[in-house]
Amino acid sequence: MKSLVPLMVITFKEGIRNRAIFGIFLLALSLFAANFLICGMIMQEVGKVAVDVALSAVSFSGLLLVLFVGINLLAKDLDRRTIYMVLARPISRAQYIWGKFLGMALLIIVSVSFLGGGALLSIASVKWAYPSYFSRFAWGGILWALALIALMLILLSALSFLFASFASSSFVTLILTVISYFIGHGVAAIKVLVEAPQTVGIEVSATTVRLVETAYYLFPNLSVFDIKIQAAHNLPLSLMYMFWIVVYGIIYSGLAVTVAGFIFSRREFP
Amino acid sequence: MKRTFLFLVVVAALGYGHVYSLANVSRAHSDLPVPLDQGYVLPGNMLRVFAVEYRGIVADLCFLKGLVAYGRTLEGVSSDRSIELEWQRVYNLLDVATDLDPYFFDPYYFANSALARNPSMVPIINDLLVKGMDARDWDWMIPFYLGFNYFYYLNDDYSAVQYLMVGAKRPGALSLLATLASRLAYRGHRTENAILFLRGIIVKTKDKQTLELYKTRLEALEQILYLERAVAYFRQKHEREPMDLNELILLGVIPKLPDDPYGGEFFLAEDGLIKSTSDLTYKKGKY
Repeated sequence: MKSLVPLMVITFKEGIRNRAIFGIFLLALSLFAANFLICGMIMQEVGKVAVDVALSAVSFSGLLLVLFVGINLLAKDLDRRTIYMVLARPISRAQYIWGKFLGMALLIIVSVSFLGGGALLSIASVKWAYPSYFSRFAWGGILWALALIALMLILLSALSFLFASFASSSFVTLILTVISYFIGHGVAAIKVLVEAPQTVGIEVSATTVRLVETAYYLFPNLSVFDIKIQAAHNLPLSLMYMFWIVVYGIIYSGLAVTVAGFIFSRREFP
Repeated sequence: MKRTFLFLVVVAALGYGHVYSLANVSRAHSDLPVPLDQGYVLPGNMLRVFAVEYRGIVADLCFLKGLVAYGRTLEGVSSDRSIELEWQRVYNLLDVATDLDPYFFDPYYFANSALARNPSMVPIINDLLVKGMDARDWDWMIPFYLGFNYFYYLNDDYSAVQYLMVGAKRPGALSLLATLASRLAYRGHRTENAILFLRGIIVKTKDKQTLELYKTRLEALEQILYLERAVAYFRQKHEREPMDLNELILLGVIPKLPDDPYGGEFFLAEDGLIKSTSDLTYKKGKY
């Protein structure tokens, strides 16, 4: 644990210093500003749209952070061969992976907190301008949605570490992470579709059903972390659901980083 | 100094060229032939997968695209077939928006207020509203809209009563809903009931343009009610049907015929009802 903390802090600092982060924050800022513009075109449910835009801006910026900053944090060490210097120190490769991952998780938590603050300000300003169009609105759901966005990004980051542990370049890691992101968000809906194809009038072979079911258990189900619609309409969320989603996120992330550490320990560097 | 001047001249020339060419290319682009299948919108099931975790915001964008597409239908420059496709496209966009986020009220509200100007769309608008009624189980407005559509456009009082009763049981519902449901159950008083419906809708309408639309319809219905009452008075006094509405003026029942806000003229139909040459819609293309 002692050796993890310095690695975590260094990784966090390295992430903060990355220039891409400024670009990502600038994008989020423009989306928060655009919120005002978009809400001006809505007839009734301005509050819902304001929450949609603000939370989507946080989530999208966070995704860019994981894809373009997070992946580089590990891949840069491999690409530039600086990993030799780190591994020459008395830490195991698995510890190295865990330290990097915890640093990235800290970076995600801090970034989502900042972006979330911006999102809340953006929603509050729209609410100030159109107070009578916020009939079904509560801050609680929005805070929960922000927390789950952070958890989903941490999970995705863990998955990117898993890919980086065996991929030959950062580009391959990026592609695999993007594919997993899309599968993770779509696999639950596709599973429902292939298990009851008659509802939409399509025919699905048994092989396809098995393939989709395998993907369902292999890839993380990222769609369960998405409660933006519930937050936007202030729909009830059970505490049990929130509990299990947090447990699921932590377990899957832990599994992915553990496997990443295992593969990384056996990897041969040129 | 000379170089700066030259730089400014070049930038000004290129800036002018940019604006001029943009105007020309936009004009030329609007003249491009548009294929008839432009009304195609990806089905909700498929879009759900592509929208990943951005279902809410994609629903908002579909709704906004629907508003833009509706603007095109109002321009009314296309052929009849194209106009029908444009209406269908607006509906498809609203349908997909509500597939992605069935709780989103605006597409239901917009479909009911704007698309209902094209009465042939009312049955599919009702399908959309049923989706909204099921999802937004706290909302009394959508069953109220359904009740109005069944009563006013489809002359189906029985279905109207069913939806009004659903609405009346929901929290915050206007007491008007229960009154209307019971009055419709007894039938009769169609125009008065329609006026009551519209007054109820107007109370909850904030959007200026939609409010104008409802107020115009309300004004037309109030004129019809005025004429119906005049005809009823004529029947009572002369114990016969008037030959036409002008006879009401000739025999001093009313001073003059009221104006139809839709631009038509009121007349007494063969079935004894007051109707207008406008059919209470704007001329084609204007809706």
